[in-house]
Amino acid sequence: MKDIIAQLRGILFKIKCKLFFKKVTIAKGLRIYKKLKIVGPGQVFIGNNCRVAGIKGDASKYVTIDTHSPTAVIKIGDNVSLYASRISSNYQITIGDNVLIEESGIVDTDFHSIDRSRDLPIDEDLNKCRINIGNNVSIGAHSVVIKGVAIGDNVVIVPASVVSMSIKSDSLAMGNPARVIKQ
Amino acid sequence: MNLWSKYKKVINSPLYYFQIFIAIVKGSFYILYCRIFKRNIKIGFPFIVYGNVNIKGPGKVIIGKKCTVVENVFRGLSITTFSNDSIVSIGGEGCLLGGLTIRCHSKIELGNNIMTAVSLIQDTLFVTNNNKSYTNYDSSLWKSEPIVIGNNVWLGGHCCILPGSKIGDDCVLSACSVIYKNEINNYNLASGNPVRRSLPIERILGLRK
Repeated sequence: MKDIIAQLRGILFKIKCKLFFKKVTIAKGLRIYKKLKIVGPGQVFIGNNCRVAGIKGDASKYVTIDTHSPTAVIKIGDNVSLYASRISSNYQITIGDNVLIEESGIVDTDFHSIDRSRDLPIDEDLNKCRINIGNNVSIGAHSVVIKGVAIGDNVVIVPASVVSMSIKSDSLAMGNPARVIKQ
Repeated sequence: MNLWSKYKKVINSPLYYFQIFIAIVKGSFYILYCRIFKRNIKIGFPFIVYGNVNIKGPGKVIIGKKCTVVENVFRGLSITTFSNDSIVSIGGEGCLLGGLTIRCHSKIELGNNIMTAVSLIQDTLFVTNNNKSYTNYDSSLWKSEPIVIGNNVWLGGHCCILPGSKIGDDCVLSACSVIYKNEINNYNLASGNPVRRSLPIERILGLRK
C-alpha cells in the first residue's frame, strides 16, 4: 500500500515538474515516501527507479535538492536512494548508480568568501569544486561531503565522517578528515 | 530538609515546580498509553518528560525508574527498533536523556545514571539495509553488532556510537567523538573522530602520577 502511494506521489511530482519547473527532468519510477523539495534555477537530472524517503522516527524527514546559480548541474543516476539528505550545488555534482545516501549533506560551495565582507567566494571555479561520486557508494548518517572531492566506485563511508579529500575505489573510509581504513 | 523550608521554596518559584509537576503528569500518561496500546514498551514510574518522546517499531524497549527527558535543541528522546528480536534497555536511577536518538537492529544496553546530550547510537552502519544490491564491497559491514554502555557514563554533544563498541563504567565521551569497533576501559576520557586513545581520568586530575 505504501509503495503504491509513493509511486503515485512520484508521478504527480513528475507532472508538476513538467508544467512548472522545466529545468528538472525525471526518468521513470520515482518513489517518494516522505517529501522532496527541489529549489533553484539550475538543472537537475534524476535517473530511473530512484527512491526518496526519511529514516523512521527521526526529526528531519525530507530531502532537499538546491541549485544556487543557473549554470549549476546536478546529475543523479539510477537506483539511487536518498534518506533525509541534502544536495546543494553551485557548479556540478554527479552521483552514480546504486548509491545510498543516509541523512547527510553534499555541498559544492562555501557560499561566502573568507573576507570580512562575506560576499560570494572569489577563488572558486568548476574544475576546483566539482564533486564526483561513483557507483555502488554508500554514505552513512551525519556525514558531509565537501567541494572538490572525487569518490571512486564501491566505497563505504562510515557515519559521522567529514569527506574533504578524494577517496580511491574499493575502500572503507572514516574520521575527520576521512581517511581510508581498509581496502 | 524542613517541611517549612520546602514550602518556602515552592512559594518563591512556583512556575518551576509547576513545570516539574506537569512533566511528571505527562510521563505518567505516556506510561499508561504504553501499557494499553504498546505492550512491547515498559517504562518505570517516575518518568519525567519535558521534551518529546518518540518510540517506534516492533522490538522490545525497557526503560528503568526515575528517567528524565530534557528538551534539547529541537529533539527529545527518539528510539526506533527495526525487527522483532531487537532489544533496547536503558537502566534507571536518574538517567538524563536529552536529544538522544537510538536506532536498533539487534541489541543495545545502557547502564544506570547516564547523562546524554544530542547524540546518536546506531547498531548497524546503515539503518536502511533492505536493498541487497548495495552490499558489493563487504557484506560483513552490514551486519549488526551489539553495543554495551556501562553505568554513570557521560556522553557529550553530537557524538556517535557505532556497532561493536563497548564503553566501561564512569567514562566520559567528549563532544563530536565517534566510536566504531572499539573498547574504552573504566573511568577513562575518550575523544576524537575516530577515537584512537583514551586517558584515565585519575591521571588527568593529577590524583595518580
